[in-house]
Amino acid sequence: MALIRGTLDVLVLKALSWTPMHAFEVITWLDERSEGRLDIDGPALIQALHRMEEKGLVSGEWGTTKNGRRARYYRNTDTGRAHLRSESAKLARDTETLMTVLGAKRS
Amino acid sequence: MLDFRIRLGIRRLLHLPLPSAARARADADAELDAFVEAQAEHLMSRGAPAAAAREESLRALGAPLDEVRQRLRHSVTQREEHMQRRERIDNWLQDARHAARTLRRNPGFAIASLLTLAIAIGANTAVFAVSRAVLLQPLPYADAGQLYQINTIWPNQANSRNELSPADFADFQKGQTTFTGLGAVVAATPPMIWQPASGDPKSLNALDVGSNIFTLLGARALYGRTLMPGDEIPGHDHRVVLSFEAWQRYFGGDPGIAGRSIVLSGSSYEVIGVMPRGFTINEREELWLPYDQAGTLADAVRARKQHYVRTLGRLKAGVAPARALADLRTIAAGLAQAYPEADSGRTAEMRPLRDVLTGDLRPALLLLQGAAALVLLIACANLANLALSRTMGRRRELVTRAALGASRGRLVRHLVTESVVVSIAGGLLGVMLAGAGTRWLLALNPTTLPPLFDAKVNGTVLGFSLAVSIGTGLLFGLLPALDASNGNLHEALKEGGRGSSNGRASGRARQMLVVAQTALALMLLAGAGLLVRSFAQLTRVTLGYDPNGVVTADLRAAGDRYTDMLKVTVFYDDVLRHLSQMPGVVAVAAVSDVPTRGSSGTALRIEGQENDEARLRDLRYLSVHGDFFKAMRIPIIAGRAYDASDRPDIPETTILNATAAKRYFPNGDAVGHRIKIGPDPNAAWMTVIGIAGDIHSNGLDVPVEPTIYANHRHEPWMRSMSLVMRTSTSPVNAGALIRAAVAAQDPSLAVNNVETLDDVVGQSLAARRFALGLATCFALIALVLAAIGIYGVLAYNVASRTREFGVRIALGASPGRVVSLVVGQGMAMSLVGIAAGLGGASAGARLLNGMLFGVTALDADTYVVVVALLLFVAAVACAVPAWRATRVDPLTSMRAD
Repeated sequence: MALIRGTLDVLVLKALSWTPMHAFEVITWLDERSEGRLDIDGPALIQALHRMEEKGLVSGEWGTTKNGRRARYYRNTDTGRAHLRSESAKLARDTETLMTVLGAKRS
Repeated sequence: MLDFRIRLGIRRLLHLPLPSAARARADADAELDAFVEAQAEHLMSRGAPAAAAREESLRALGAPLDEVRQRLRHSVTQREEHMQRRERIDNWLQDARHAARTLRRNPGFAIASLLTLAIAIGANTAVFAVSRAVLLQPLPYADAGQLYQINTIWPNQANSRNELSPADFADFQKGQTTFTGLGAVVAATPPMIWQPASGDPKSLNALDVGSNIFTLLGARALYGRTLMPGDEIPGHDHRVVLSFEAWQRYFGGDPGIAGRSIVLSGSSYEVIGVMPRGFTINEREELWLPYDQAGTLADAVRARKQHYVRTLGRLKAGVAPARALADLRTIAAGLAQAYPEADSGRTAEMRPLRDVLTGDLRPALLLLQGAAALVLLIACANLANLALSRTMGRRRELVTRAALGASRGRLVRHLVTESVVVSIAGGLLGVMLAGAGTRWLLALNPTTLPPLFDAKVNGTVLGFSLAVSIGTGLLFGLLPALDASNGNLHEALKEGGRGSSNGRASGRARQMLVVAQTALALMLLAGAGLLVRSFAQLTRVTLGYDPNGVVTADLRAAGDRYTDMLKVTVFYDDVLRHLSQMPGVVAVAAVSDVPTRGSSGTALRIEGQENDEARLRDLRYLSVHGDFFKAMRIPIIAGRAYDASDRPDIPETTILNATAAKRYFPNGDAVGHRIKIGPDPNAAWMTVIGIAGDIHSNGLDVPVEPTIYANHRHEPWMRSMSLVMRTSTSPVNAGALIRAAVAAQDPSLAVNNVETLDDVVGQSLAARRFALGLATCFALIALVLAAIGIYGVLAYNVASRTREFGVRIALGASPGRVVSLVVGQGMAMSLVGIAAGLGGASAGARLLNGMLFGVTALDADTYVVVVALLLFVAAVACAVPAWRATRVDPLTSMRAD
């Protein structure tokens, strides 16, 4: 499924709202949640994460994985959480509107 | 790879940006590698072999590894830059907001700081505005750096500078090769009278100039044209250029003025142009007329010997000034040989025009700027002390910040921002003060500043003010900030942490600041004190005449009617007779120059003594008409004054001043001797009939020189004279009387500058009074600031040693003992400061030398008074803290923190 940039941000924020993750974990999570229908390019996601960090939606720092490897973990900031809330609500409303129009029976 | 600490639970904290681009790239690479690793691990956990998993992982990137690496590096670098920028701005804003909050919470500190800063920065800005206008602003001439003024001097005599004679000027002009041209300015051009359609005749300051002068200076007319070569040819020379101010004031600013004719001093002149606003060559001249060089040269003797042509020249491009000077000197040497009685022994000198116009002012302005800077430094010391005290009290807050991750640099920046914000606010106030201050400075002395210079607070000045403000803030903020951020956490968090070793170091810093303040204050006070004494000495100079009750007015018998010199005599005779018959008039006379306004120069030959034509005795020349000595109350020491028997048709009689008699007739036999003066060795002898008392004709601070009081009735070639009238009526009435008397004789003549002689003398002192006023202002401000500084430090010391004082008192120390402890400390600081200040003053006192009169720079009396004053003020400043120390309650103090 093709994603508009802004939508990807919201999805990432959603992922991170569970727990801090590194880039690969985010892709895995999104892949699982979308049952494989979202096909996200790794490097593109990392760049998206950088942009979001620049905008202050997430903050990143180096940490260690379970396996003892170094990885860059991202977590949501307050701004990110607020953005997630407002954008999720907006997406939900927009989708509902679309569904209403598309699902209208011929009358 | 370095590990970064994980910050815990801090709300707004973005992670610290990486320090360099290299780190950023490394970061990107690491993240990419980690991603690839993670992907490979994932595949391996699904059973893929290691190598295949890695290969698949790399392939899944979707592009060659290097390309991806580049993209991510770019992405990270951008991220870092943007985050760094945002963080910096956020920090500054946060600091500034915090600073504003802190200031609001401490209004006392804020007000004290703002006032101190406003005064100090304001003073600096005002002085800078004037300095910039005088010393830095470009002259209203094209490429003014190439303009020079040429004079002749005796090689080793400082005050021997002369202008050129017309014949010398012509020779220089012909012979020189290093200038594009020389221009003549006849400085002593008499004013022209213009009769408006209605009202009194107006006297306009005129300047005869060589027709090439405007081209030489690179000046263009606003309307019409300037004078050009050819305008000086007789028959075509009744052409005049107006100044902007005259055009506005007298001719209504009419743009069609060019081409019109106006009547000046009885003759018709065509106005050919108007100059732009502010343009001037001499000072405040209103008209420019062509100088008739050929006509002047017709009288060969006078043209060679009378030196009144101010000479300007434009150096050719690429020619070194030294070469031009050598060229001029060669010409001068030639003239000295060819015309020994006019030019012998004299050589040429050239000075940059800017120096000529501002030279006098530069030392004074630089001194003023120095004094203002000293005041600023003293203010900074006070503010630094204040800041030190405050940061001490905030130690815990600062330490907590440090513990939460703020670096030392961050803390320092935080504290310094506070100082800079206060300084900028103070600076803004100061600029407002400076605007008023500059206007006040100018209003005090309209004649002190050459009108060329327009001193106002403009963009450059504002920029200077801002720079000074920020610099000040940094200066007084840095020391306390560095001191406070010195992170000894343990010490600071302990109770009563002010007793730590850090406290002692800052205490010493504080004391050094006060010592420095006191020293600077002493230097300023000493400077002001010396100027005060100079001024007092000047006012005590015996004038030699009594100015009280004397009114003066300037008058010129101008116009064709007075070409016959006899008519000039008759005119002045009649005016004086008319006035002397008025009620209230004690005596009235006319003189060529009112005392303190200068005199002409001439040369003296004495009968019976040797007269070296190459080096004649110098004599100042004043021409008097009527009862001059009676009107001025100048005593006649020997012989008699002029009376009716000194008629124009008999051999001339003359009067010398006491200095001339003493110097040139050491045997005391001046009266009865015959002398002659002037450029012509074949002039008629005159008999000396009287010796009059000395007067300071050239200014109170200039020694009296040998002077001749020539009888104007015998030599009425001076048509411009100043009336001096001793009268019991008010100056306004006196002015009206004079105008009426002149109008009765000739209604076309103008009477100018009606003033009292007291005012004239006062004006001659105006520049000094001005400098004195400013210096005293600065010195007093410095004194107050130093006193506040001493008080502040002592107050803080007492407060921080409360427990110690409590213990002492509990152990039986008397109030006297406590007081002496505090006062002793205060006075010790002051004494060290005074000693340092005396050292500084004696080193720097030489700078004042040009401005002193009657006192040396190391005048003991002045220094004694200044030191005593400072000691007294210091003692007073110690009083309150000392008193507070005695009130310490032992019990509460030992319980207190």
